[in-house]
Amino acid sequence: MLTASPSRRDLLYGLGMGLGTAALTAIGAEEQARAGVLSAKPGHLEAKAKRCIFLLMEGGPSHIDTFDPKPRLNDLHMTEFAKERTKFEASMNTGKRYFVRSPFDFHHAGKSGIEINSLFESFSNCADDVCFYRGLQAQSVNHPTALYHLNSGNRFGGDPAIGSWVSYGLGTENENLPSFVVLPDLAYPQGGAANWSNGFLPAYYQGTPLRSQGAPVLDMNPPAYVALEEQRANLDFLGALNSGHQQRHPEHDELAARIESYELAFRMQSEMPEAIDIDSEPEATKALYGIGGLNKDADAIGRRCLLARRLIERGVRFVQVIVGGWDSHDYIERAHGARIRAVDKPIGALLKDLKRTGLLDDTLVVCSGEFGRSPDNGIRGGDKAWGRDHNATAMACWLAGGGVRAGEIVGATDETGREAVEIAHPINDFHVTLLHLLGLDDSRLTYFAQGRNKQLSQTGGELIRELLA
Amino acid sequence: MRRLCFLVLLPLALQAQTAAERLFVDTVQPLLKQQCLGCHGEGYTFADLDLTSRENALRGGKRGPAIVPGDPDASLLVQAVEFSGDLKMPPGGADKQLAAVAISAVRDWIAAGAPYASGERQQTWDYVEEDLWAFRPVRRVAPPSENVDPSAVQTPVDNFILSTLAEHDLAPGPRADKTTLIRRITYDLTGLPPTPHGVAAFLADDSHGAYKKVVERLLDSPAYGERWGRHWLDVVRYADTGGYSNDFERPNAWRYRDYVIRSFNEDKPYDRFILEQVAGDELWPASPDGAIATGFLRTGPWEHTGMSVAAETRQMFLDDVAHSVGTAFLGLTVGCARCHDHKFDPIPTKDYYSLQAVFASTAFARRPLAFAAQESLAGFDSGKARLAALIAQLEQRVDALHDVARQRAAKDKGAAYAARARTGELQRYLAGDEAETLKLVRKQLSMHEESVQRYDPLAFTVSSGLVDDWNDIGPGGAASYLKGVDYREIETHVLVGGDVQAPGDRVEPGALSAVEHYSGYPSPQIPSDIEGRRAALAKWIANPQNPLTARVMVNRIWQYHFGRALADNANNMGKMGKKPSHPELLDWLAGFFIDQNWSVKAVHRVIVLSEAYQRSTQHPDRQVQEKDPTNLYLGRFSPRRLEAEELRDAILAVSGELSPLRGGPGTYPQINSDVARQPRHAMGTLRPAYQPSPAKADRNRRSIYSFQQRSLIDPLIESFNGATVDLSCERRESSTVPTQAFALLNSEFSHDMALAMAARLERQADTADAQIELAFRLAFNRAPTPDELSAASAHVARMQARHEQHSAAPRPADEPVIHEISSELTGESYSFQQVESTVEYEQNLHPSEASPHTRALAALTLALLNANEFVYVY
Repeated sequence: MLTASPSRRDLLYGLGMGLGTAALTAIGAEEQARAGVLSAKPGHLEAKAKRCIFLLMEGGPSHIDTFDPKPRLNDLHMTEFAKERTKFEASMNTGKRYFVRSPFDFHHAGKSGIEINSLFESFSNCADDVCFYRGLQAQSVNHPTALYHLNSGNRFGGDPAIGSWVSYGLGTENENLPSFVVLPDLAYPQGGAANWSNGFLPAYYQGTPLRSQGAPVLDMNPPAYVALEEQRANLDFLGALNSGHQQRHPEHDELAARIESYELAFRMQSEMPEAIDIDSEPEATKALYGIGGLNKDADAIGRRCLLARRLIERGVRFVQVIVGGWDSHDYIERAHGARIRAVDKPIGALLKDLKRTGLLDDTLVVCSGEFGRSPDNGIRGGDKAWGRDHNATAMACWLAGGGVRAGEIVGATDETGREAVEIAHPINDFHVTLLHLLGLDDSRLTYFAQGRNKQLSQTGGELIRELLA
Repeated sequence: MRRLCFLVLLPLALQAQTAAERLFVDTVQPLLKQQCLGCHGEGYTFADLDLTSRENALRGGKRGPAIVPGDPDASLLVQAVEFSGDLKMPPGGADKQLAAVAISAVRDWIAAGAPYASGERQQTWDYVEEDLWAFRPVRRVAPPSENVDPSAVQTPVDNFILSTLAEHDLAPGPRADKTTLIRRITYDLTGLPPTPHGVAAFLADDSHGAYKKVVERLLDSPAYGERWGRHWLDVVRYADTGGYSNDFERPNAWRYRDYVIRSFNEDKPYDRFILEQVAGDELWPASPDGAIATGFLRTGPWEHTGMSVAAETRQMFLDDVAHSVGTAFLGLTVGCARCHDHKFDPIPTKDYYSLQAVFASTAFARRPLAFAAQESLAGFDSGKARLAALIAQLEQRVDALHDVARQRAAKDKGAAYAARARTGELQRYLAGDEAETLKLVRKQLSMHEESVQRYDPLAFTVSSGLVDDWNDIGPGGAASYLKGVDYREIETHVLVGGDVQAPGDRVEPGALSAVEHYSGYPSPQIPSDIEGRRAALAKWIANPQNPLTARVMVNRIWQYHFGRALADNANNMGKMGKKPSHPELLDWLAGFFIDQNWSVKAVHRVIVLSEAYQRSTQHPDRQVQEKDPTNLYLGRFSPRRLEAEELRDAILAVSGELSPLRGGPGTYPQINSDVARQPRHAMGTLRPAYQPSPAKADRNRRSIYSFQQRSLIDPLIESFNGATVDLSCERRESSTVPTQAFALLNSEFSHDMALAMAARLERQADTADAQIELAFRLAFNRAPTPDELSAASAHVARMQARHEQHSAAPRPADEPVIHEISSELTGESYSFQQVESTVEYEQNLHPSEASPHTRALAALTLALLNANEFVYVY
């Protein structure tokens, strides 16, 4: 039911509701309160992808050491990297700098023959389903501003996250679960919860972090000393209070919605445990994701990737998985090596699992850092601790799933990996393209705020056609 | 009709050239901007085509000229958008083709010569009168008397409201009952519920001036400034931290928060309030408030680190401050003019940068400033002791790690080397996790060492030009910031596309030229010297002749009283803001405000003493709901949900736990413990764990005194639509979401406060019925009905019977806070047991320590705190 029905509303006012019925009976108020807010709605365009899993690799994973090897760096290794000094330089990038070769081996994967860091084993088997995009460019080398940029289109924060925009555009297919779920590391990323903020969009569209420790949703359950039957008795009493009050205030139409919100909360309370019950998955599936294995980081990330699949299966529109720890200024061999070992099985398994279940056809999977890393390094780590600094002009990014050109490499960086030079696009174009893949037109997905119709791309952008199937 | 001809729709008197220019600005320019310039002009010039200027469009790109003035058919642009040739634009197929009306606008514009119009040119004709109302002088209107029944008039506000109601054939509804009224006015003016005693006294007072007496009492209460100061903090985005990665504390920012509260309580004339916040340091260098108030200029999020480019972070401040001044005082979204002339309002980019130039000589300062007598030093001793203990523990950790490293260094390179080795050298002798710990501990130390300065007599403020001893760019990036920013270079240029690397024409400091143009109020003479720029701008704003200033403020005041502003985008009085529902009333109030020497309290009185404010939410005419569904004309009063801080404060107040302490550095409320224990990043390491203030007197203070951390908002406040902390909050949302039900019904805070309230009932009332009655009087400001009383008694009895059978499990022991993060040094997870306060925590009453009866009463009080009647005000 899309519009509020006055007759049902009148009915609600007219009913002499006894104890317990008001808070616990769904009676049209939900439709009334949330029609057009979160209910599923068609996009602007025909699109294959109906939902999205966004794997955010926080810290700036190195494209050079993952999916975009640069043999030229072997020749240049430890030679000085000379560059023009400008006044637009962060202090991080000053001082003497040297080219650094990748300490990793690479192997060929898939039909495209893309070279991937050999530590990627499971993920490499998925290469034919993946579109590696080497043209993406960020604008900031500062973690929080770059994260805000990638997540919300606005480097300075305060705007809605992409998941909020998608929820706003498409609604959710399961109103008992949040439409935009975030699965962060135990530690929240730089810039904190603003990374999944609803910004100026209504609060319905805020990202809900599901936490891997403590209650998955805050205060979903009362304190342990409150027994279920006490809770129920209390709700009944509350229902009676509210219904008497509502009869005294027939003029106030928000009351029904607030009564209904308690009902919705309890539906969520009952649905959520099943949705997040990873233990109910077959052992073989869990093992595929690295759950229960020796690598405890892979176990934790695997749980979140598997949870992402379970959530989109149940109608959640947008799931963002955040995996931090990629900021390898020093010791890149050790640090990036460990990160790759930790994400390889979970991400590989996610793609294979989605493909096996057919979900990959209508699910968009995106994986990106907030920026890439430089081919050079300052002397900070010395010659025994090679690492790389931040680089906004080239980065590691891939897409897979519904509507994406699979099994190809799109765009290219220069011979040292310093800068994207072919099919290079800024983040706002990437946003336009992600929305497009989900059936949304960035220029029509707008919301009036701060004096104008605002959009994810800020002021528009170009579709990156080469990424489309 | 395939082609709508736009030009003939315009008055014939307009010259054809002007008409074509208007067509450009109204239709073609937005079209180019949205559909074309992304690839052809702004950032990219694909096919070498740049459509941003007429000259470049005529020159064209690889395919030749885009436009042939006067000949649409020959213009490539027309062929492209009509899809009539091989070039089809915008790309994306038929889906993307422009609407027919848009295409014909392009044709008409080219036929008329394809003029581009400059910002200055636009100002002379571009704006229709109805969008310019806020720039026109404030009209001195007399309250209307036609169609107004004088007996229904309490203040001149009623003349306007009644007259407009009559115009729309609507009748005013009756006055609210006294209980409703005292609840409404008490929450409105103080953000707190009325006490049972206050309600009883008002009900017993039959005198003519009973209500007025209540209003005066509330306006005199210090709680008034806490409530209305909070509104102002919404507008200026107050926080105690800087945001972004480190989110370091701004240790002396609280003095600005207290200054705001104090200013409202003192009824400081609003013009003075403006002058102090924009230029108090220049205008009253000897006055403490002058230096504290200019903290306003630094309320936005800002951070400079080793990853930041100094010129960019400097520009970030300039953009923020220009936008903030425009929004807060002038009600204009000047930020829209950063990259291009404002599309909707007469604000050319040049004006935006002129406004910014006013702040080009403004440097960040942390200035020694003794605490004044009126400033509160509440919580200084306990807060200092707590931080000192944390710092000492962390320093021990550093020493221990250094010792380990020194021993290894001694083995490696000898004792002499080890003894003089510095931190950087020692670090090499630490293994992955040890190095990670050292990094973490040092970061946390730097945070606490910053925080501890909140007790120092310093002002978080600005200076005109760099003043050596006051220089402050916050912790972390000082050297690189000052290397990149030269405060002697204060020449300001238009930045093309808002890009700091693309300076264009030079501009002089100035204000918004549209104000002089449309109101006749002259633009200010702003000196080009380092000093005096802000003072000149402030005086120009805080002037009765400025058409925006008084209107913006009375419009905000009205909004907080009625839930909706007269011009219902309080931060935007321009074209895109909603038009005033009562334009004469708005002007009358603005004039009244000025005549009353900018007294905010005078405006409150004339509003809240009006009959319009005192009306019931219910109207006897059932059709009124249909005739005026949104209550635009105020024939009745609109109910509202409590704001987040009001809700928390009310819960504390009715449970008897609200601390009377006022002012001083922010304190740490009890927040959801999962959120408190949540590990959070700070530049690749972990920030300290959140720890609520150990003393109830600190953690149970009004919410305005809660430490406002940009990266950690109290989830209770957040879920009840708290203010946005990075952008100015024009008005609080009140949408209902399920997380609110979770927070209010299930949270430990709610259960603790419900239990505390139960204990209070037992202390203050003897019999079971009296306790229930008191509970209703506290939460709902009325006695229960007989039905409610019997239902409540039955509920309490049932719960008591149950609790007598089931004792509550004892309070769980405190668990250490162990945080985990992915180490950037090893790529593996790393965990750390957070250092915690050693001060003993003053516990809330726990069910295991309460009698079955208290616990049963707590079931009742929890329901009351969740009830709609508690959460809404009528």
